[in-house]
Amino acid sequence: MSLKPRRILFDEVWGCLKTTVEKVITLRAVKKDKWNDSFNDVYSICVAYPEPLADRLYTETKLFLENHVKSQLDDFGVYMMEVNDTDNSQNQLLHKYYSAWKNYSEGLGFLNSLYSYLNQQHIKKQKVSEAEILYGNGGHLSVAQEQMEIGELGLDIWRIFMIQNLGDILVKQILQGIERDRVESNLSSKDIETLNGVIHSFVMVQDYKKKGNLKLYENMFEGKMLEASGEYFKSQASKLLQTCSVSQYMQEVIRILDEENIRAHKFMHISSIQKLKKECEDRMITDHKYFLYSECKDMVSNDKRDDLKNLYTLLKPIVDGLKELIQFLLEQIKNEGTESVMNLKGENIHIQFVENMLQVHQKYENLISETFKNDPLFLSALDKACASVINSKLCDGKTACRSAELVAKYHDSLLKKSKSTESEIETKLTKSITIFKYIEDKDVYQKFYSRMLAKRLIHDQSVNMELEEVMINKLKQACGYEFTNKLHRMYTDVGISMDLNNKFNQHLKNQNNELHINLSIKILQAGAWPLGPQTAIPFAVPQEFEKPIRDFETFYNLKFSGRKLSWLHHLCHGELKVSLAKKSYLITMQTYQMAMLLLFENCDTLSCKDIKDVLQLNNNENFQKHLQSLIDSKLLTVDTEKIEESSIVSFNLDFSNKRTKFKITASLQKESPQQEVEQTHTQVDEDRKLYLQAAIVRIMKSRKVLKHNALIQEILSQSKVSFAPSIPMIKKCIESLIDKQYIERTANSSDEYSYVA
Amino acid sequence: MSEDNDKTSYDSDSSKPDKMFTLKKWNSVAMWSWDVECEICAICRVQVMDACLRCQAESKKDIQSKDGACVVVWGECNHSFHHCCMSLWVKQNNRCPLCQQEWSIQRLSS
Ligand SMILES: [Zn+2]
Ligand SMILES: [Zn+2]
Ligand SMILES: [Zn+2]
Repeated sequence: MSLKPRRILFDEVWGCLKTTVEKVITLRAVKKDKWNDSFNDVYSICVAYPEPLADRLYTETKLFLENHVKSQLDDFGVYMMEVNDTDNSQNQLLHKYYSAWKNYSEGLGFLNSLYSYLNQQHIKKQKVSEAEILYGNGGHLSVAQEQMEIGELGLDIWRIFMIQNLGDILVKQILQGIERDRVESNLSSKDIETLNGVIHSFVMVQDYKKKGNLKLYENMFEGKMLEASGEYFKSQASKLLQTCSVSQYMQEVIRILDEENIRAHKFMHISSIQKLKKECEDRMITDHKYFLYSECKDMVSNDKRDDLKNLYTLLKPIVDGLKELIQFLLEQIKNEGTESVMNLKGENIHIQFVENMLQVHQKYENLISETFKNDPLFLSALDKACASVINSKLCDGKTACRSAELVAKYHDSLLKKSKSTESEIETKLTKSITIFKYIEDKDVYQKFYSRMLAKRLIHDQSVNMELEEVMINKLKQACGYEFTNKLHRMYTDVGISMDLNNKFNQHLKNQNNELHINLSIKILQAGAWPLGPQTAIPFAVPQEFEKPIRDFETFYNLKFSGRKLSWLHHLCHGELKVSLAKKSYLITMQTYQMAMLLLFENCDTLSCKDIKDVLQLNNNENFQKHLQSLIDSKLLTVDTEKIEESSIVSFNLDFSNKRTKFKITASLQKESPQQEVEQTHTQVDEDRKLYLQAAIVRIMKSRKVLKHNALIQEILSQSKVSFAPSIPMIKKCIESLIDKQYIERTANSSDEYSYVA
Repeated sequence: MSEDNDKTSYDSDSSKPDKMFTLKKWNSVAMWSWDVECEICAICRVQVMDACLRCQAESKKDIQSKDGACVVVWGECNHSFHHCCMSLWVKQNNRCPLCQQEWSIQRLSS
């Protein structure tokens, strides 16, 4: 046939086309050539000569569809009149609607293809304004105003004639169906398909729209569905509350939430799933959250993990739902932590403190990972609680917080020679870092740690040097280079000293110089070691020590320039062989004690004054302490009860001891622990000032000019790693830097500083 | 010695009249510091043993910078300072801040 436009008789062609249209919309068979003819008919009408008759075709088709749908609607009349509560009639209506819709929408699809030419060429897609299409606007769309593709037109006609008339009764019955699914859960698969199909017809009928395609579904169905569901959840909740414990209630709610989720997927459009869930949560969880909270305490203290897991699952999606639970957990950890470290007694307070606290931490860390999915909110509550316990001033009933000291002591006890294996020690060190990190005054810890480290290194008490380094690196990782700088310098001093000793021995050998004693010297750099004020006690070194000292100093000055050495005799010790008539003894003691004994090589008795004068030991306390230790060991005897200047001291020639090798444990630096603690705190204060000054210089150097408050903020954020400085202390440091002319106040403002280059 | 001989029954000890006390072993500890008259640098008021204030401020991020960075300098007048501090000082005034003698370097620390 020709594609050329030709003159046609509309009524004739339409009459022919209409029979096909009728068959298509009712899904009756259409022969292939008949279909092709009809397809051409649409074309020839649209391109008819002298004028195209497309508008007329559109109008006729529309009229046809309207009549078709209206006659379908008439069939429902019976059901609408008869609607009552019998299941049968309800099902009948829904099933009938669904099958009518199914057929219609399918047929409409074919019809749309049949009208392809009209759709594509004639109907200029005109923007359908929202207002006109809105459900409820009703009435006809005049062709002049608006033309739609035939498929869309058909859907719209269905909406206007079918849904607007039947909608309310359909929805009412759908809701009854859903209710039945909730209560009896005995819907047949046909029932389910129908409900789903009917509900989705509200979406599909406007699916072609780009915007607002869910409006009809939401307004007509979803709102009512949520309302009815809400009522149902509410009544379920109050029913459950009458018989259930919290634990049972939670299980029930979780089950219901689960079922509702399945139900939503089964019947509804995807956009309703979340809303239905929310409705269920609101009615069953939020409305009764205090009931849920009421057994928190019991669940936590009796470790009811399943209940806690359920509680978390239920409260997680609720706004602020977890707040109360988290707050409760925080308090619980605080109480348990405080209890575990309060009133500790005995020698091992430091061990108990760290290990008890670790136990609490691990317990709750584990709880949070197993029941609260490692929720960051819970983890941060754990941190808060632990930090609060560890930094509490009340942790042992005294005024100062001792945790920094205790943790340092704990580390000291691990790193000292003991029976534990290296890997055991390392594991414990690693774990304890958790506790260390909570300490606020890390500089206090550092001070204690460095004192203990110094003792271990000087007196060769470390398990091994590798572990010392491991620990320093752990601290560095946690607090940065600056924090461990001095510790690291101490550690390296020991290595350097070993190296120096080897070189010195080689040097002596080269010179054929034999010292006849086993000499080992540790060279410490001043400033890095926390050795306290009593650095050098004046002392006339006995000649036995003089030569090694001289030789070493000569050697040292060859190696380094501009350095001087001072000998810390109070930290030295040695082995003295005492040869007596019956036996010889090898006795380990301190340098001062050796010096005293050596005086008796040439005489039997000496007065205290003599000893003091020869050794020039002017520090009486020091003198008494060491002399007393020799008397206690019975190597020396004294003729008075109390040691006085005039007392006569004699060497005990009858001395005898079962062991030939032993140690005089003189009161090695007997600072009382309390004094030592106080000293440490004073030093921390001094160091803080120096630290703050360096920080201020650093900040000012890079910023050049800065307001007072901005400077304070910077300092606070920088010092956070090791301590929280007080504002007055910062101010003092600023003043002192102004005095030293590192910074100055700017001319135009009193609260602004500038860097002096 | 002579007195010893009287008291000790040295015949039991087969060896020669040995000394009664013999030093076998000595573990000693010494501290090194710069050989300076004044331990505090007069320019920055920090101990010369520590790095000067400016170096401390900078070394913050340094990894293990051997303390070599901030050495000590001695003038012919035997006064000593941080080398860093003195280098800045002489730019303005080539005299020792302590004795006002013309500054000339005697040695640097190692
Ligand atoms: Zn300086
Ligand atoms: Zn410097
Ligand atoms: Zn000078």
